[in-house]
Amino acid sequence: MHTEKTVALSATARAVAARVGSLRDFLAFLGEQGQCVHWPDPVLPEPDIRNISVAAGNDATTGPAVVFDKIRGYPGKRIAINVHGSFGNLALLLGYPKTTPIRDLFHEIIRRWGSDKPLLERIAPEKAPVNENRLEKNINLYSLLPLYRINACDGGFYIAKACVVSRDPLEPDNFGKQNVGIYRIQVMGPDTFTLLSIPAHDMGRQMLMAEQHNKPLKVSIMIGNHPAMAMFAATPVGYDESEFAYASQMMGAPLRLTTAVNGTDILADSEMVIEGELLLNQREVEGPFGEFPGSYSGVRKVPLFRVTGVSHRNDPIFENIYIGKGWTEHDTLIGLNTSAPIYAQLKKDFPEVVAVNALYQHGLTGIIAVRNRFSGFAKSVAMRALGTPHGTMYLKNLIMVDDNVDPFDLNQVMWALSTRTRANDIIVIPNMPMVPIDPAAEVPGKGHRLIIDATSFMLPDNLGADPHLVDRPMGPEIDTLMQRLRELQEGGAQ
Amino acid sequence: MSEHCPRCVSAETAQMHVGIENGQPLWTVWHCQTCAYTWRDSEPPESIDPQSRPAWAQLQGVDFDSLRQVIPPAGK
Repeated sequence: MHTEKTVALSATARAVAARVGSLRDFLAFLGEQGQCVHWPDPVLPEPDIRNISVAAGNDATTGPAVVFDKIRGYPGKRIAINVHGSFGNLALLLGYPKTTPIRDLFHEIIRRWGSDKPLLERIAPEKAPVNENRLEKNINLYSLLPLYRINACDGGFYIAKACVVSRDPLEPDNFGKQNVGIYRIQVMGPDTFTLLSIPAHDMGRQMLMAEQHNKPLKVSIMIGNHPAMAMFAATPVGYDESEFAYASQMMGAPLRLTTAVNGTDILADSEMVIEGELLLNQREVEGPFGEFPGSYSGVRKVPLFRVTGVSHRNDPIFENIYIGKGWTEHDTLIGLNTSAPIYAQLKKDFPEVVAVNALYQHGLTGIIAVRNRFSGFAKSVAMRALGTPHGTMYLKNLIMVDDNVDPFDLNQVMWALSTRTRANDIIVIPNMPMVPIDPAAEVPGKGHRLIIDATSFMLPDNLGADPHLVDRPMGPEIDTLMQRLRELQEGGAQ
Repeated sequence: MSEHCPRCVSAETAQMHVGIENGQPLWTVWHCQTCAYTWRDSEPPESIDPQSRPAWAQLQGVDFDSLRQVIPPAGK
C-alpha cells in the first residue's frame, strides 16, 4: 500500500531527475560528464562488441557507456552497452559526482527507500515517442535489431537487458499485479523468442497460471529504457507492488507511461517495444548462456513466444549488457539494489547493522558491517541474514566486519580478515539451499554456506596480544578531504 | 543455399538475415531447426566451427525431448 510520503532530493538530484526522461537523455548527460563514448571505428558484431563491452566493464569505478553506430552489416543501426556499467554512471544518475564512494551511493539508495508515492504520468499512445513506427506484419527481429552473440558459446543471440512487462493472466486489469522484470530472451525464428523464468519468479508464476487456466499471456519487451527502469526493475518488490511506481519513487521524478496495443503499460520513451504472446505449452531448446556466476547455464526447454507487433522510435538504440565472468555491467546494475533490501530487513531487528555489501555475483558473497552488542553477536546477525528472502538462496559466503570497517572498501575488509579472523572461529553450514546455477553447489540447488566472523574480539573472548586498536581518523571530515584531493588532482579546485 | 549446424551438424537450417555493407552481402545469420542454434557465418571459429567449438558445447546425438523443462507445460 503506498502513501503520499516523498523523500527530499538534493538540488542536483532534482535537476538530473528532471532532465533524464529516457535512455537518449541519459547518454547525452553521461557524454557531457565524460562517461559515454561513441566508438569511432567500424565493428563486426562478433567478437568486437563483446570485447569492447568487457573492456568498458573492467573499470567498475568510472568505465563509460559505449555507443556503436558503425556496425558492419547493420547500416544505420545503433547499440549502447555498459550504460549502468560503472558506479560513476550510477552516481551521476542519483545526482552525485562520479567519484562518489560506493558506500555513499548505498546510503542514498537506502534513504530513497523512505519514499513511496508513485510518480507516474500518462501519455496518449499517439503522442508517445515509442510509437513513431509500428510493425505488425513481416516481422524479422534479426533485421530490426543489430543482434549479436554475447559470449562465444551462447546458444544464440540474446536480448539481455530488456524490461519485460506482463499482466496477471487471471487479473489482467490489476495494475499492481502487472509485473516488470529483466529476463533473458533468446531470439529464435524471425518472430519467435524464448523467455527464461523459473516458477519462483513473478513471470514464471504468470506462465504457469496462463497454461493451467488456458488464458493468454501477453508481454511487452521494452528495450532501451529510462535508466531507472533497468536499475530498479531488478529489485524484488512484492507481487502486488508495481515496479513502475517503485522506479519513479526512487528517481523522485515522474516516469512517462503509455498503453501498448496489447493493453500492457509501457514506458512512452523506450527505444523499442516488442509485443509478444506465450504459445501455450510450446517449448524450444534454449541456451547455453554465460550467466552471472561466470559459467554457462545448461541447455533446457523453455517457453516460446510469438511476436504480435513492434513499436519503435526513429533510429532506435539497442541497449544490451555484457554478462559473464565478473566484473561485468550486470554486477554494477543490480549490486546496490541487491544489498539494500538485505540491509533493510536486518536493520529492523538489529539496529547495530550499519551497511551490507552484496555486490558480488548477486550476493553469493556478502560483507556485513555490524557493531557487536556482545561477544559472538555478529554470528547471530549472520544467521538472520541467511534467513532473509534473498539470503535464503544467494548469501553463500558471509564476511562479518566491525561497524567502523567500510564493507565496500575491500582494503578495509582485508584488514579485518587479516587481523580479526581466527581460523577456528568460522562456521560452515552444510547442505543448504543454493542457487541452481552456482557452480560451487554440490548438486544443483544444494551446497554449503560459510560465515567468517572478522569482527573484533570482546570479553569473554580471549582478546589476544596487543588488543589496543589505532584510532584511525574516519568519517565526514576524511571524506571531505578525499574529495578535495580528487578535485586538486583534476585541477578543478583552487 | 544452406549450411550445416555447427552445434548438432543437422542439415535442417534456415537463413534468417543477410547483413549488407555498401550494397553487398557481408554475412548471413542461420538458425538450426533441430537444436535452435543461431549463428552468423562471419563469427570466430570458436562459435561456428565444429572442430574448434568445445566438446561440451556440442549437441550431437542428444535426445531433445529429454531436456530439462524449466517451466513444465500444463498437465505434464
